[in-house]
Amino acid sequence: MKAGIVLVVLGVVLLLAGSYLGLFVAPAEQYMGDVQRIMYVHVPTAWNWMLVVITTFVSAILFLFTANAKYDARVEAGLEVSTLLAFLLCCQGSIWAKPTWGVWWDWDPRLTSVAVLLVAFVGILALRQFVDDPRRRAVWSSVATIIAAVDLPIVYFSVKWWNSLHQQQSTPQTVSSQFHLPLRLNAFGVLCLSFGFVVLRTIVAARRLEQEMAAPPIAGEAGELA
Amino acid sequence: MSEGVVVGGWGYVIAAYTVTALGFLIYGIMLFTRLRETKRHD
Repeated sequence: MKAGIVLVVLGVVLLLAGSYLGLFVAPAEQYMGDVQRIMYVHVPTAWNWMLVVITTFVSAILFLFTANAKYDARVEAGLEVSTLLAFLLCCQGSIWAKPTWGVWWDWDPRLTSVAVLLVAFVGILALRQFVDDPRRRAVWSSVATIIAAVDLPIVYFSVKWWNSLHQQQSTPQTVSSQFHLPLRLNAFGVLCLSFGFVVLRTIVAARRLEQEMAAPPIAGEAGELA
Repeated sequence: MSEGVVVGGWGYVIAAYTVTALGFLIYGIMLFTRLRETKRHD
């Protein structure tokens, strides 16, 4: 638990430093002006959302291979944290879209594919609430997570495949060097905060599962759901 | 907005940072509350 708390505190410190630099020190962008400052939270949220989705996908595969309850707890944590990040991503993107594109939302392939994954993960979290048997719940949500995560490559490549309204991915090569420091600080800040949340949420999921499994003899061995 | 340049827009910037901060803050509070609740049952 200490690791999770340390990551959360470190994430908050980095985010405060990066946001200060992004809001008050970095210059305004030539065409987007001050609105470009939204990039310092939007892009790190997008990068780390993808990372959390990938780790959730890997945990789901590991659960199906090992039937170890710790991977189910990681799936539950990953689903919830990636839902938070996807929701924030959509909100930030909408706020950016209004002054730059003139609309709050557009059914552009990038936005649509992110929204699809957000809705899918919300659905899987809801599914977990309705299934009482821990073993079935874990198997079904792992399978559903793997199927939903197929959308992630579509999210990533959508701007290349369809030359959509959403701009291509930002990299250090496509962004002025004056914007690098706040962007990197916030990227590491969101990384620490997100994975701190995942670590702590995994502890909550594992504790709940232990309490649930303590009553009826569902599991054959301690820590296993098969 | 004139000639392809976005003028102003601090309101949008503040809105985006506020939504982000509130999202992380509310989730963080909910998470620590659940951590304490599950600990009580141990």
